[in-house]
Amino acid sequence: MTEPAPSHSMRFAVAGAALLAIAGGAAFYFASQANQGSKQEAGDFYEVTVTAKACEPNALTVPAGKRSFRILNSSDRPVEWEILDGVMVVEERENIAPGFKSTMTARLVPGEYEITCGLLSNPRGTLTVTPSEEAETASGPSLRALLGPLSEYKVYVALQSAEMVAGAEALAAAIDEGDLEKAQALYVPARLPYKRLEQLAYRFADLENAIDPVADYLEKREADAAFTGYHRIEYGLFQEQSLEGLAPVADKLVADVTTLKDRLRSMKPSTAMLTDSGATIAEQLAHGRIEAGENRYAHTDLDDIAANVEGIRKTTDVLKPVLEPHAPQVAAEIDAALQQVTAELDALKTQDGFVSYDEVDAKTREKLSQSFQSLAAALQKLTDAIQVSS
Amino acid sequence: MHAWKALSVAALAFAIGVGSANAKQEDITLELVEPLADYKIYVAENTKQLVKDTTAFVAAIKDGDVEKAKSLFGPTRTSYEKIEPIAELFSDLDVSIDARADDYEKAEQDPDFTGFHKIEYVLWEKDTTDGLDEIADKLLADVTDLDKRINDLTFPPEKVVGGAAVLMEEVAATKISGEEDRYSHTDLWDFDANFAGSKKIFILVKPLIVEDDPEFVAKVEENFGDVDETLAKYKTDDGFVSYEELTDEDRTVLSARVNTLAEDLSTLRGKLGLD
Amino acid sequence: MREEKPMKKSQQATPQDETVSANRRQVLLGGIGLAAGTALAPGQAFAKSTEEEAGQGQVAEAPIAGKTVKQRVPFHGEHQAGIVTPRPANGIVASFNVIADDPEDLEALFRELTARIAFLTQGGEVPELNPKLPPADSGILGPVIEPDKLTVTVSLGASLFDKRPWLRELKPKQLIRMAEFPNDALDSEICHGDLALQLCANLQDTCIHALRDIMKNMPEYLVLHWMQEGNVPVVQASAGGEHGTARNFLGFHDGSANPNSTDAKEMDRIVWVTEDNGEPDWAMGGSYQAVRIIRNFVERWDRTPLGEQELIFGRKKDSGAPLDGGKTEFAVPDYAKDPDGKKTPLDSHIRLANPRTAKSQKNLILRRPFNYSNGFTKSGQLDQGLLFIVYQADLMEGFLAVQSRLNGEPLEEYIKPIGGGYFFVLPGARDRDDYLGRTLIEAIRSEPSQQAAEGL
Repeated sequence: MTEPAPSHSMRFAVAGAALLAIAGGAAFYFASQANQGSKQEAGDFYEVTVTAKACEPNALTVPAGKRSFRILNSSDRPVEWEILDGVMVVEERENIAPGFKSTMTARLVPGEYEITCGLLSNPRGTLTVTPSEEAETASGPSLRALLGPLSEYKVYVALQSAEMVAGAEALAAAIDEGDLEKAQALYVPARLPYKRLEQLAYRFADLENAIDPVADYLEKREADAAFTGYHRIEYGLFQEQSLEGLAPVADKLVADVTTLKDRLRSMKPSTAMLTDSGATIAEQLAHGRIEAGENRYAHTDLDDIAANVEGIRKTTDVLKPVLEPHAPQVAAEIDAALQQVTAELDALKTQDGFVSYDEVDAKTREKLSQSFQSLAAALQKLTDAIQVSS
Repeated sequence: MHAWKALSVAALAFAIGVGSANAKQEDITLELVEPLADYKIYVAENTKQLVKDTTAFVAAIKDGDVEKAKSLFGPTRTSYEKIEPIAELFSDLDVSIDARADDYEKAEQDPDFTGFHKIEYVLWEKDTTDGLDEIADKLLADVTDLDKRINDLTFPPEKVVGGAAVLMEEVAATKISGEEDRYSHTDLWDFDANFAGSKKIFILVKPLIVEDDPEFVAKVEENFGDVDETLAKYKTDDGFVSYEELTDEDRTVLSARVNTLAEDLSTLRGKLGLD
Repeated sequence: MREEKPMKKSQQATPQDETVSANRRQVLLGGIGLAAGTALAPGQAFAKSTEEEAGQGQVAEAPIAGKTVKQRVPFHGEHQAGIVTPRPANGIVASFNVIADDPEDLEALFRELTARIAFLTQGGEVPELNPKLPPADSGILGPVIEPDKLTVTVSLGASLFDKRPWLRELKPKQLIRMAEFPNDALDSEICHGDLALQLCANLQDTCIHALRDIMKNMPEYLVLHWMQEGNVPVVQASAGGEHGTARNFLGFHDGSANPNSTDAKEMDRIVWVTEDNGEPDWAMGGSYQAVRIIRNFVERWDRTPLGEQELIFGRKKDSGAPLDGGKTEFAVPDYAKDPDGKKTPLDSHIRLANPRTAKSQKNLILRRPFNYSNGFTKSGQLDQGLLFIVYQADLMEGFLAVQSRLNGEPLEEYIKPIGGGYFFVLPGARDRDDYLGRTLIEAIRSEPSQQAAEGL
């Protein structure tokens, strides 16, 4: 089965639920969360409008618990909207097209947060989460059962982090040596470990902005001083075909991925690390990234996407022993969805690797996006399947 | 459009941490993940080393170099002894790699007797490498298989945490007597590795218990310290002297420390909620 | 600590404690104090059993304890219990190597050992821990520890003192490492030791429980060097209330000529170290303990004619009476009337051991032995013998003198001492605030050399 029915029905269910939510302002929530007994009340959407310069309102106060936000992009660029706790991303919604709305839900604990509003240079807003009586305990597989999978994943993260640093160092060395061809060859290997880790790494907003900003999000695009990291190097290597000015960028990248490695190492393990991060990245791919592409100059997006899939697959692999006894259908659905995206990616392979992304037509991209949406939908069920009382 | 995203779990856990910084004693906490992950990396490094060392050991045997093979026996075993609590989860390999003659009905003469100790027996008792080629090849194949299997294994948390005490029980029950390496008397190598392996586990989980139980931590550390001190007396430039040189007094001291560590570390699983 | 739970219905014991104390001990005829049967005979299940009772119940039901499980020997006193305490049916001697680098370690060892013994001998409930942790107790006696007449007697070996400069000067003057006698074949693996525990109780499980408790609680101080379990056969209560001594594995009564252990004055003279012994002050109230593991060649012995056996011992096998007359083991032989050994051979065991002369009065010793059975040897013979334990105030005049007289006795053909050691029994812990070994620790602290070392 290459096109799993459950994914479809899920998507329809989701769409239906969303319609309901829009229509009645009522609990779309209940549709997708029937067994959770959520206390989300009707109309409990916090509306936020992102303008070219700021959020409106720029300060939000919500009670703790699961909260839903509806974000309207009234600027003329695609924006992302994030809730930040210090430098940590609590939840984010990427690629909200101009004039479109997006909804997002986060489980929030009391505290002070920041919200991003469009361009990175725009001032951030505030989100205050006040204590509430909502209990958030649930029953499911024991926390203990997740110790093994989580530690396995931690090991993977450690190994990939080491590879990421080594890759960046090798790339920087090639740039230092003035070897353009070698540097070009090392760009993809240097980037892949980062993409495998992206589902965790993207949460470090400061580092993500330094390591992986796309020119589109910057005011002066390629000319912007904040244009650093992988894509800046990619731009030099593949667009300008020159190493000029890249040495300090590469050194900075080495420093930044080293910091990222340390942050990932000290990241507190949580079940969400396994149940949520894969869905997030699949969702990001499905909604905009596949369509637009990120590597505008090297056109190596298929390598990126394949690495993202590897990262996702690691989480589902380690979860398998916990998931299969509790939710065999979810496990099967995820397997099928992963097979589907893998098959579609494999179809874009030649003997020398993936085809250049500019040769991938819009229709293929759309199909791939849909498959990732199915994957995201399947992965999203992990959260329900693995409800842990901590 | 992404209603399902509403389900996204306690994302904040990333920032705040599900397990609070002060793990309550005897409750399972996700803070165990880090020690478990670090321990797996430690074990993986050791199995890698084991394959490397065994390759050289086997080469010496097949070269017929008795003296070199003898000199490599003690050090090669250390990577295995450090990670024994995990290695012995694979009972088939544990038998073929590390069984002793008395595990077999016909002892040294038993055709099934293989692995390190069979090689040890032939090297020291027969002073030859004759007839060892096949056993040496099998040993290398076994440790290579072990390396792979361990990398694929999700470590059971209770085996990891319990391993600290298991190593001590092992020493207390069958090693303090010198019966492990009875032909080569390289037991101190094994001892040292067993202690190192036990201590590694303890050090990794220490942050989870030190706040609630500083006295326990101090006592265990002191006992490990005493062991180090005692073993240090028997260190040579490239390892350890023969077990036969261990004085009765030091054997008594080691025995007391081992038993005390076994007794204390036996509470480690319970302290971390891993009954 | 002494709290007791109500008895279960199935237990036939009365709820009252039966405290065994020196002044209530049965005084036996002939000045013989040790009466093995007293502890077990009354109320013991098998003493009352009938065929009908024996046929009831499920196979794996626990045997029913008698009320003797409630017997409690006071722990505190001038002397340690377990010496003049009537010997129960079961005993263990366990010898340890001690880890104690300084007086503080030794004091901590003594204090903890005292606390364990006080609990174990007096009984009480086992503390409950979180089930995720190993339990506090082996559990072999259940959740409530009954005293069961348990005594744990602590003694010190010469090596404890010899290995520690700060203890050397305080060693009891006669405490030496056990040397080989001509017939001995000592095995170093079951000889000597820094500290010995003699554990005695009505039931063997009580002894084993106590040993495991102490080893579990004190691994940092005590490393087991050797141990030997033993027991003595119980007997039926007799109509006259006199039970006699237990028999050894050679089938003879053993301990017949013991001094009267209920006579405090005699015990002060024979067993307890007093000012007359010239021992260090800290040792007052202690005693020398000699332990010998003596293998008996029982198959060969059983193939020896009865008459020869009796001549070797100097007693009748059935009654234990001396060969020169009398009806019981407590009859006193009159060697003066048999100077050539025509009735009781001069080299018979009892005549060599105790010639009953004015001069040999000072060689009296208090024997408190157990029999042991350790399975079998490689040759397929039974490995059985005597766990010989003897107490005296003067080791030279006591066991050493007696054993020297016994050298070359005909019995040697049937016995082989293979292990054991000499130890000095610490004075008792007087009350709750006291601990075993206190006087020794205080003596260390008042030693001039120690004060200099500690800069006092």
